[in-house]
Amino acid sequence: MIPLSLQIAAEPATPFVTRLRLRPNDHTGPNDHIGETDHTGEADALFVEDDDGGTLFAGREGLISIDGFAGHQLSGDVLLVDPGAGRAERLLRSGSAHNTLLVTERCDQLCVMCSQPPKKTHIDRFDHFEKACMLAEPGSVIGITGGEPTLYKPRLLDLIEAVLTERADLEFHVLTNGQHFDLADVPRLRAPLYRRVSWGIPLYSHVPATHDFIVGKQGAFDRLHDSFSALMQAGARIELRTVLTSTNLHDLPALSHYVAARLRFVESWSVMQLENIGFAKNRWSDLFVDHAADFTPISRAIDTSLLHGIAIRLFNFPRCTVPRAYWALAPASISDWKRKYPPPCRDCRERDLCSGFFEWHPDEQAGVRVTPL
Amino acid sequence: MTVSCRTAQPMKVRALDEGSLFVNDTGRFFLASDAFAQRLHDDALSQAETDELRLQGNIIDPDDDFSLHSHAYGIAERLGGANSLDYLILVPTLRCNLDCSYCQVSRAGVNQRGFDWSDETLGGVLRSIDELATDSIKIEFQGGEPTLRPDLLRTIIERCERFAHKQFVICTNLQNLSADVLSIFDRDDVYISTSLDGSIAMHRMQRTGPLTDAFLDNLSSLTARYGPGKISALPTLDPRAPADIDEIIDTFSAFGLTSIFLRPINFQGFARKRHKQSREQDEGWRSYYERFVRRIIERNWLDKSSVLEESYFSICLRRVFQPGADRHVDLRNPNPVGVDYVVIDYDGTVYPTDEARMLARSGVIDLSIGDVQTGWNTPERLALNEASTNQFDPSCTVCAYQPFCGRDLIDDLARYGRVDIERTETEFCRKHLHIFDFVFEPIYSQDPAVRYSLAMWLRLPAIPEQLGVRIS
Ligand code: SF4
Ligand code: SF4
Repeated sequence: MIPLSLQIAAEPATPFVTRLRLRPNDHTGPNDHIGETDHTGEADALFVEDDDGGTLFAGREGLISIDGFAGHQLSGDVLLVDPGAGRAERLLRSGSAHNTLLVTERCDQLCVMCSQPPKKTHIDRFDHFEKACMLAEPGSVIGITGGEPTLYKPRLLDLIEAVLTERADLEFHVLTNGQHFDLADVPRLRAPLYRRVSWGIPLYSHVPATHDFIVGKQGAFDRLHDSFSALMQAGARIELRTVLTSTNLHDLPALSHYVAARLRFVESWSVMQLENIGFAKNRWSDLFVDHAADFTPISRAIDTSLLHGIAIRLFNFPRCTVPRAYWALAPASISDWKRKYPPPCRDCRERDLCSGFFEWHPDEQAGVRVTPL
Repeated sequence: MTVSCRTAQPMKVRALDEGSLFVNDTGRFFLASDAFAQRLHDDALSQAETDELRLQGNIIDPDDDFSLHSHAYGIAERLGGANSLDYLILVPTLRCNLDCSYCQVSRAGVNQRGFDWSDETLGGVLRSIDELATDSIKIEFQGGEPTLRPDLLRTIIERCERFAHKQFVICTNLQNLSADVLSIFDRDDVYISTSLDGSIAMHRMQRTGPLTDAFLDNLSSLTARYGPGKISALPTLDPRAPADIDEIIDTFSAFGLTSIFLRPINFQGFARKRHKQSREQDEGWRSYYERFVRRIIERNWLDKSSVLEESYFSICLRRVFQPGADRHVDLRNPNPVGVDYVVIDYDGTVYPTDEARMLARSGVIDLSIGDVQTGWNTPERLALNEASTNQFDPSCTVCAYQPFCGRDLIDDLARYGRVDIERTETEFCRKHLHIFDFVFEPIYSQDPAVRYSLAMWLRLPAIPEQLGVRIS
């Protein structure tokens, strides 16, 4: 697993954002920071030296010493350094397509399988995140997640607009429960820069009560549809997301009819296999469905969606567990830092295209019966 | 509970052999039994039936903002397609090195003068390209025989460097392949479109005569050189005596060509007037067309190594399920002219469609909308486009196929000299009523061979359990 948090020592009293660089004007990362180094250069910390225990960088905020890494491994990373806690978060890892900012841990839903169970407290780090985004590698898509980011909708939209105005090359992908948009947002969300924002929004069933049950909130289905209405009228880009559980697996074919008939405005529909973390960990045997054992509800949903021109994809489905006809719909969806391939995958020809498994997926569980292709 | 007919979407009905086809304005449809139709009419649906209709998008609640807008979105998706100009059909020369039997008017002799773009016309075309506001462009070179002027093709293609997405289609008789022309064909963004009239004998008779072998050699060497996907061929068939179906399929298959766009020769002007029984011929053609599609369904099932399709059938089928999937400018609604594509003739005259250009040349009717120097934002164009939709046509408004169907002003003008003729009296309408009836029949077929071909034509990875919803 790729560590997202670093042990550090640094001088200042308060947290700050910085970007690590091997050399001044060193264009690290896969793409060059063309023409952009100059006005962001002051946020950079430059490489000083590696030593036995780690590496040393120096920036405007003084020295940052980082344990357990060599300088070149971190070059290009954008860090949120918290000297008081002796930690730094790798907010934007250089060269990664899976950078995600967690803007709050509060949420007003309580999904049965939540991978990141909410907390009551909120620490506002929007200013830091905004600075970090300004330092992002060219052309990157930055994920925003929570908790529920739209609990702080005005500040969230401010951040998005500030960053996308300054950086015409960036895009955002925001995971939201869709409980907080209304018609008053439409004029704002119609701004052209929102073409570079997509909203990942869960819908678990076409049956309101089933959806409400899964998200742990009465009336969530109806409120979600108010948000859909606003987002649709704003021309927002929506990635619809459906995590599979034993509760909604058999709704999937009917849900696909519903999507094809009533949610035609979504840009794509991601059907997602469960992640063994958070609440799902303790409820795993109740919730997890082995799609390889009976793929029918899923294949019927796929067929209906594609028939009606809905771009459906399968996330977190290892390729060898999916009928061959649908391989092209099952991309390598699991983020690099939490992905693993069991040993037999070594010889698999599809490995580069395969999602693999979540790091925390139980090896002894059904589902790790891989058959290298 | 019953559903009030006021909350159910207004649906249009067409009687098919197997039941009543209900279609709403967004193109959602289902096939229902007579008993269901009666219950719907009597406001006596069961709760389960109401739920099913709601799931399928056939019920909207007038005071539910989501359901209204979702429905409106579905309608909007069916409309449009014509945005900014990004598709040019160019005729750099009218000269041709062949003399096909049905092409008297749209060609000039290979050595005649004054039938190529002048420097001014070329300048005007280049200016038009420079002024396009899009980042994509499609150019189709028509003729005459465009490969007689590789220099002009090259000039145009090079001028399109700035576009992120570009596609060039060269419509050629493949009679002469110089090294110069080949090097243009070699570009990845160049596609070749040619004619192959069903059987070799027919092709020889209608087109190439003693030059047939040269054409066939060129076609084989190009299909070998480029593989599938680069070259397409269209058969032009004499509807009075269309070639043997298997012979057409074999001829195309031999060259690895799997898409066959069956086109009857379009008799223009006098030719059309001479054939008084054209209505009966249309019937004959339609039954030939059905036999052809049924035959490729059979052959696809027997030999799964490649998928044959009749192009227009596939387009209509995809329009039923996948609004916006194709950009077929002959079948869409509204279908305004001179908006997203135009034809620029050898003399710089601008026409709305290639058919309009032919009509003008054969003296039937002048449908030019401007010229490349002064533009085509003309009163003529505006006048035409007033009538470019089927949306408010009294016959179309009650027709179940309206969401899938289109409008063809030029065809109406060509045949009747006017665009306001009762729709169901037009050839366009007869043709499309027939083809959509013929499309919905296999949609509800249980025959595995039929379902296999349909899934392939719909570009699906597997065969759906059910293509159309059925309510009994
Ligand atoms: S063997 Fe491993 S890499 Fe290959 S498809 Fe299965 S899970 Fe993926
Ligand atoms: S043209 Fe004919 S087939 Fe087409 S929508 Fe109108 S009435 Fe129906």
